[in-house]
Order: sequence, then structure tokens, then C-alpha cells
Amino acid sequence: MNGRLIEAAETLNNEFVRQWKEDGGRVVGYTCSYAPDEVFHAAGILPYRIRGYGAQETTIGDTYFGPFICSLPKCMLQLAGGGAFDFLDGVVIVPGCDSMRRLDDCWRKAGEDMAGVVPPFFFHFAVPHKFADYTVNWFEGEIRRLIEAVERHFDVRITVEALRVAIAAYNRGRVLLEELERMRRLPEPPIAGAEALSVVIAGSAMPRDAYNDLLEECILDLRAKTRCLQGRRRLMLVGSASDDTALVRFLEGDRALVVADNLCFGARFHNDRVDDGVLDPVRALAERYLRRSDCPRMYGDYRRRLEILTDAIQSASVEGVILQNIRFCDLHGAENGLFERDLEARGIPCMRIEREYGPLVETGRLKMRLDAFLERIDGKRRTA
Amino acid sequence: MIVGGCDVGSLTSKAVVMKDGKVLGSMLIKSKARPGESAEEVMNGACAAAGVERREIMFCVGTGYGRDRIGFVNEAVSEIACHGRGARWMVPTARTIIDIGGQDCKAIRLDAEGTVTKFVTNDKCASGTGRFLEVMARLLGVGLDELGELSVRSKNPVTLANACTVWAQADVIQFLNDGVPLEDIAAGINNAMAGRMAVLVNNLGIENDVCMTGGVAKNRGVLAAIEKMLGLRLRAIRRHDPQLAGALGAALIAMDKTAGGVK
Repeated sequence: MNGRLIEAAETLNNEFVRQWKEDGGRVVGYTCSYAPDEVFHAAGILPYRIRGYGAQETTIGDTYFGPFICSLPKCMLQLAGGGAFDFLDGVVIVPGCDSMRRLDDCWRKAGEDMAGVVPPFFFHFAVPHKFADYTVNWFEGEIRRLIEAVERHFDVRITVEALRVAIAAYNRGRVLLEELERMRRLPEPPIAGAEALSVVIAGSAMPRDAYNDLLEECILDLRAKTRCLQGRRRLMLVGSASDDTALVRFLEGDRALVVADNLCFGARFHNDRVDDGVLDPVRALAERYLRRSDCPRMYGDYRRRLEILTDAIQSASVEGVILQNIRFCDLHGAENGLFERDLEARGIPCMRIEREYGPLVETGRLKMRLDAFLERIDGKRRTA
Repeated sequence: MIVGGCDVGSLTSKAVVMKDGKVLGSMLIKSKARPGESAEEVMNGACAAAGVERREIMFCVGTGYGRDRIGFVNEAVSEIACHGRGARWMVPTARTIIDIGGQDCKAIRLDAEGTVTKFVTNDKCASGTGRFLEVMARLLGVGLDELGELSVRSKNPVTLANACTVWAQADVIQFLNDGVPLEDIAAGINNAMAGRMAVLVNNLGIENDVCMTGGVAKNRGVLAAIEKMLGLRLRAIRRHDPQLAGALGAALIAMDKTAGGVK
């Protein structure tokens, strides 16, 4: 396992970011998987996914958001307020959900109270909630608005050719990540779910070309691995944004393996390619990001998402699905209820958990449920 | 063959010693700070009540929050499985079990063979747990075991605006200050508890027969309120103390492990 990828995933200001900045590079953070990284890559800017990872409290977040809202944007604001994202030259807020939309207001307000919290480039990037020809047109316009804003603020040119190069680089990464996914789903996977999640997250926090090279190296190492993971209960993790490898490690313990996921920071993040045969790369980006960033935020998409899960469950021989949502996450909370109903009807054991984003606490209660869920899977194995 | 079950919970620890499907002895104590100490004391007590030596126990299963910290058990099993097994032994027709423990509440569904097919538990909140009742009983200045008897005498139960333990305390203090009779406040507390539990059970889906285990199963007021809210009769548990269901189930699973299983 490549330690540099793990470090990139588990350290906000990691070695790649530090080196990029030392070389005079600029970094722009974004908050949701609907932001097209390729635009920043084409501008010579490092795109960086903002997370709430490592926040130990939410005193700043609570001040601006109040108590009854998802803890992910609160942790993001907490880290921003504490200076953890001072290396960012810009921030793009993507209203993936209403809590994320409010992050825009709260972050700007915090900037009035705390000097330096809001970087010079602070952009609200809207995303439609439906996929249709007219919404793709609208979203294409939004990407062009983003391009113009980046060009103007950072005094750069984002050319069609540079966008094509960026699309090729990110598509290469997506092909490699799909290979990683395939390996996770093998009967005897060479990699545990927690490590796989780290590898995926690293891609959102370091330059893509360097990432692709390390990822390729990682896959070659995994192919050469002779001691694979056997006999564990095979789980799938689904639901709200989760970049907490400690949670996955906890769920896996020494008895289970997360062999597939459908998470904003996981497999969902790198699904599909951007069509590199389309004449207009901006149009191609709009098509891909609006169509394939699977998320319950999109209206009328439940049946398709259920089939995505069912396909993954079959191809990875999943024995149980853990449906988690961050408290007050209406999108995933509601969808998880439907998933549970429909997957259980198909004979797939499901367990729903509601949790807070942030430090992994209250593990006693979670362990009791997890043990009972694994016992249920064992019972199903015995009667199979 | 003599087997044991030890359930170290957040508020109480329970142990049961069984032989050939019969309970030889049992013990219930307040849990101590260290799960290992609670387990030692309660198991020694159960052995003394059963009239057997600890070394005579051939297989012992641990359960409850402290299950992984009990040194003497042969195996640790989740309390979901243990409560399901214990409840089925006490009520052989049970398909849905409501268990209210010290810091959690669970609804468990069993198939015809007694295997757990589905369960739901509360999230990180004291609402709907034994802790909720404990806090409220203290506010009323009555014992936990008096709360049920008190509430069945109520003519005009109050309504707690919130099942949250913190906010409900404020409501109860207000009712006390207003001179509302204790039995009406107690009934309101039990109704709030039952309401929280009914949501959980409806979420799981009810299959008859339904029974209730855990310490709160001894509170007549909560039982009556749950029956009213769910529109059904709970199967009464008479075979043994419902608070011992987890430890009983653990002992029965221990018996299964030694191939002497008794349904």
C-alpha cells in the first residue's frame, strides 16, 4: 500500500499541497463532487476537495449554523475558521444540498467576523436538481461562468486544448479507480475497504498526474499481492458523505470487509468518463457531471440509483448493506429508508445508522448493532 | 451440563446459570464502573443462588455493552441475539420483541425458528430508554419501580411536549410547580416513553405475538401505554424476570454451543 496516498488522504495540508504551494502554484477548494476538477487542472490550478476531516469540535460551526443541521458543513467551517484551509487561494461552494448552500452564507458571514477566513476568490457554483437537455444547457452555462471567473481572478486562460488534456488526465484516473473497484470486489480482495477509501480520497487532494502515477503503482502492487483477505463478511457502505477511514476500519474490524460503496467520497466520485470525442469539452463536462455524479439530490433518479446498488451488490457478492446518514441529512435519510425497504424485499440484509460527521465517538452502541448485523449475515450463511 | 449467561449492561448487570434447560439461579446488580468487576460479582452471585461452583460452568456467553471485557466468558454475542433468544424461551410464540434497556431501546423481529431477521435501535439519545425513566422518577421523588403503579391511578395524564430527556425535565418541573398530581405526571412520562417506542416498533413492522423485555417491562404504566398506542395486547412474561432476558438468552446460546440446545 502506498503510504504517500494514505498521507494525502489523512492530512489536509499534505506533502503534495505543500510542494505545489512552494512551487508557486495556486489551490482552489470545492465542496462537492459536482464541481468539475478539469476546469482548474486546465487553468494550472490544483483543485482540492474541502472536507471536515479532523475537526474535533464545532464551536465555530455551531455559531453560524445552529444545532439542527448536518455536521459536515459545520466541520468544514470549523476547520476554515481555525485556519486549516489557509493554503487555499479560492473556494467554490457547490450547493449539493441545502446544508451546503448555507455553507456559502455562513462562510461569508464568518469572514466578516474573522479576518482571512474567506479567500480572495469565493464562488457560488450552482447545480440543477434534474437531468434533462435544458438543465444540461443551464449547467453548461454555469461551468462557462466558472471558467470566466477563474480566468478573470487568477489571470489565466483556460483553452479548449488545456481542457482536453485535463479531461484525458481525469479519465485516466477514473479508469484506474475502476480497476481498483474491480479488485475490491474479487472473492479474495487484496485491499480492505478503509485503505481503498483512502486511495480514492487522495485523488481529491493532490495533483492528478502525480496521483495517476501513484495509483497505477498501487494497483500493480495489489496485483502482485499474494496474501489476500479471506472469509470475512462482505459489506457495502452507502449514504451520506463519508471520508472517515476510521469509521470504515471500525466497521470492518477483523470480521468484515467493505467490498463496495456508494459514497460521495467513494466510488460515486469517479463513475464514468467525460466524453472526449465531443467537439465542445465544456458541454462534455456538463453532460458527465450532471448525469453521473450519482446523488439523491437529483429528482426522479431513485430507481436508477437502486439499480446501481443492486448491480454493485451482485458483482461484489455483498452480504449486507450498511445505510448510513449524517444526522439531519434529509436526502440520504429519506433515500436510505427506501433502499432498506427495496433491498430487504430482494433478500439483502440492510442496517441503517444515523451518525454525526466528525470524531468517531459512541462506538459502543454502533458495535452492538454491527455485531448483531454480522450475526444476522452469519445466520443467512448457515441457511444458504 | 451447566452453562452460564452474563449480561453486563449500562445500568444493571445480570447473570443466569442453567442446567438442562432449567434456570438454577440468577442475579441482578447495579453495574459498576468496570464491566469486568460487574461481571465477576454478578456471576458469583448467580452461582451462589444456583448452588454451583464457578468451575462447574462448562460454557458461558457474555453479552451487553461490557461483553468484550468479561474475562471468563467463552464467547461474546450481541444483546440483540441474546434478547431474541431469551424472549423466545419465555414466550415461545413471540415474533416481535420490544426491549428497553438502560441506555437503549430495541425492537427485534424473529422468524418462526427464533432467528433474528431484523432489528432497529434508537440512536444516540436517552429518549425512550431506562435512563429517561430514571431521571424522571428522581424528579418526582419516587422509586423507579413506583412509576408504573403511580401512573395506572392517573385520571388525567399530562402531555410532555418533547420526548427529549433534557426538555422533558423542564416540562416535569413546570407540572410539579403547578401542583399537578404525581400520578398524572407519571402517566405522561410513561406515555412519552411508549410513544417513542411505538415509533421504533412501527418502523420495524409488527408481527404477532409481541412481548416486552428489559427492566422497563416491569413498569405496568409503560406496558399499558404501548398496548394502547400499538393497538395490541403484549404477551405477558411469567416464566422468568423479563429484565433477565439478555442473560437468559446468553445462557441458552451457551447451551446451543454445547449441543444441548433447548428451545
